[in-house]
Amino acid sequence: MRLAFLLNGEQFETEAPGSVLLLDLIRGCGLWGTREGCGVGVCGACTVLVDGDPVSSCIYLAGCALGTEVWTVEGVARREPDLVEAFIEHEGLQCGACTPGQLVMAAALRARGKDPGEAATREFLAGNLCRCTGYRSIVESVRATLGS
Amino acid sequence: MHHVAVVRSQVPHGRIVAIDCREALAAAGVAGVFTGRDIGLRPYGRRVRDVPILAVDEVRFVGERVAAVVADSRSAAEKAAATVIVDVEELPPVLDAEQALTPGSPRVHETPWAYPGAVVSEADPHNLQSRVLHGRPDEVERRLAGSRHIVDRVYRFASGHQGYIEPQTCVASVDAEGTVHVWMANKSPYRLRAQLAACLDVPPDRIEIHPVAVGGDFGGKGSPMDAPLCAELARRTGRPVKLVQRYDEDLTSANPRHSGRIRVRIGCDSDGRLTALTADALFDGGAYAGFKPIATVSLHGLVDIGSSYRIPAAAVDVRIAYTNTVPRGHMRAPGAPEAVFAFEAAFDELASEAGLDPAEIRRRNLLRTGEANPWGETWVESRGLETLEAALAAYRPLDVDRGWRHGRGIAVYDRPTSPGKTSLRLLPSAEGVVAEVPMPETGTGAHTVVREGLARELGIEPGLVEVRQVSTAALPHDDGVGGSRVTAALSKAVAEAASAYIDRGSDEAVTVVVEPGDNPPVTAFCVQIAQVAVDPRSGQVRVLEILSAVDVAQVVNPHAHRLQIEGGAAMGYGLACLEDLVMRDGRVWAANLGEFRIPSTVDVPAWRTVLVEGGRGVGALGVKSVGELSNVPTAAAIAGAVADAAGVRARDLPITAEKVYALLRSEEVS
Repeated sequence: MRLAFLLNGEQFETEAPGSVLLLDLIRGCGLWGTREGCGVGVCGACTVLVDGDPVSSCIYLAGCALGTEVWTVEGVARREPDLVEAFIEHEGLQCGACTPGQLVMAAALRARGKDPGEAATREFLAGNLCRCTGYRSIVESVRATLGS
Repeated sequence: MHHVAVVRSQVPHGRIVAIDCREALAAAGVAGVFTGRDIGLRPYGRRVRDVPILAVDEVRFVGERVAAVVADSRSAAEKAAATVIVDVEELPPVLDAEQALTPGSPRVHETPWAYPGAVVSEADPHNLQSRVLHGRPDEVERRLAGSRHIVDRVYRFASGHQGYIEPQTCVASVDAEGTVHVWMANKSPYRLRAQLAACLDVPPDRIEIHPVAVGGDFGGKGSPMDAPLCAELARRTGRPVKLVQRYDEDLTSANPRHSGRIRVRIGCDSDGRLTALTADALFDGGAYAGFKPIATVSLHGLVDIGSSYRIPAAAVDVRIAYTNTVPRGHMRAPGAPEAVFAFEAAFDELASEAGLDPAEIRRRNLLRTGEANPWGETWVESRGLETLEAALAAYRPLDVDRGWRHGRGIAVYDRPTSPGKTSLRLLPSAEGVVAEVPMPETGTGAHTVVREGLARELGIEPGLVEVRQVSTAALPHDDGVGGSRVTAALSKAVAEAASAYIDRGSDEAVTVVVEPGDNPPVTAFCVQIAQVAVDPRSGQVRVLEILSAVDVAQVVNPHAHRLQIEGGAAMGYGLACLEDLVMRDGRVWAANLGEFRIPSTVDVPAWRTVLVEGGRGVGALGVKSVGELSNVPTAAAIAGAVADAAGVRARDLPITAEKVYALLRSEEVS
């Protein structure tokens, strides 16, 4: 099928089978920042924004993105470089496998407004697993970019 | 690039009668389908070489590789793999370690002693992988008989997956000269090269392991895993091939932590001073022993049980058995969280018998500087007592909700710091230097240590040091990431390289190779205090805080150091409360990371860390290891806190609400 949507702010068009996953489509374009971890929408490593909402691209049919605005970690990092800076400054990463998903979540949370507090931030990030850090530094990185 | 999909065994034990690949071979995009008969029995392993590339004639666990499909896309390979028909005659499996060592039980391997590197003989119980006997059992029995108080308990452990976010991944190609090239999520490239050379019968200099960043390891990415298969498939198809395990494959057929049980008997005198310790450990090694790297094919954490204390007589017996279940491997401080859980829990129970507070009995028994531990090791300093007092001084009780009970638990661990062998090449760049290093960055900050260490030694900004992992063709050697050795080894390499570089005028490349050498015997203590709230109506446990007091020398990068402590404690929390790789009928039941749960942002407690500074470290920077420290005592501390809160002692991990509820009800009945 013909797929057309805005990808990281630019018009994107391709021909792809209706069954293709958004994750595979994105990575097929050379946008390798979006990672496949669990493959079933549990770990959050593959998170991208579709019309501002975070979705697990590993279980999201690319066809569902038709006519939407999709942002991957590459676009988010270009659009909001201070998020990346915050993760570096607060050491919000170790191995980096979960980091693209965490950055996209940080952008999604910021788009919703001011800092909702630590507990609500943790709830928001509960679907993004990290095995390295123990999360304190990730939560601090995310909150550092929010207005109070 | 071609992709590989693997056909896996659906039965725990069976004889392969036939494999029908015809439909797969005819499928669109398929370049080849291979079975164990095609590849031959070419076993690989980290020490014992008993793991077949593909099963030959016999399958030994659910998930074992039986056939492999190479196709021009991942989906084509997976679709074709689903059409392969494996005709298996089922054989009786052995699914339990205890049963495995009973005479007459089914044999997982016909001649386990015949594998290269095997540490068992024909005279041993048939399904034995390894046995380590250590200490003085007669002396232990004599002293236990004369002890005022004795505790004799059994503690049990579920298996668990390392839970890295990036699954097992491998790319291989063979060039025109026959050199094998591998890109793999593996933490020990030079050892991988040697393991591949032994399995593929290719000289090591015809194998090149290329640099990759590793998306989490935690002990699970030290084996050859799919590399021998990928290399064979690349050779046979003449194409580069890529195998990325789906996470369900990784959960069910990679190399998770050993499950098992430890019986501990300890005694003390009327003052609570330990008299003797004996531990009898039996662990399930699964279908292959090849995922354990140490010479004894055991788990060193189990063998070191009780190491933090002064115990006049000790003995340990550690057996690991073959069963028809997923082969077990290493996970962060292998065997140590289990040994510390068993020892510290028994110690708490002994304190209770002796009428002593858990902190006081530890204070009386922790090693003092100059005293040998139960296994005969003496350290330049033993700062367990200072570390315990620092934890107790920092402790602040937290409030719990109405109707919930508060509990506090304490646990202790100490781990030696031993650098390995590594190498490093330093060369000038346009503005600063390039450091070529042999080991991958697995998330521990190894490359940061190099950058900051070189900046300090050379007197330049860290931004002017570029750290680059290079292939195994570029440097002489490295022992790989593991054993908490990276910072200690690298800091020595950094110091020697910087010194040689300056000596030669700072304008030509220098390569250094550092050996472990003569290091002072150093150990680092970690004392954790867990606070929990337990709901006596439901058995629910909330872990409120883990306070870690850590014995340190020089800290190279405070942020990275703190993350090792916090991330380790998170892993300890998972072991204590969540992680259970349930097996039923020999099959790993969890198919994804929702069914095998690792801690999320909302599960984990608060972390507090207190550094006990002023210790004496090793290497040029004077460091103590930290990577496998804080994950070890956490489960023991949490179990102690639950016992303190609820008055019942959970003796098997993980400690779930259901188990605590059952313990509370049985307490009521009795």
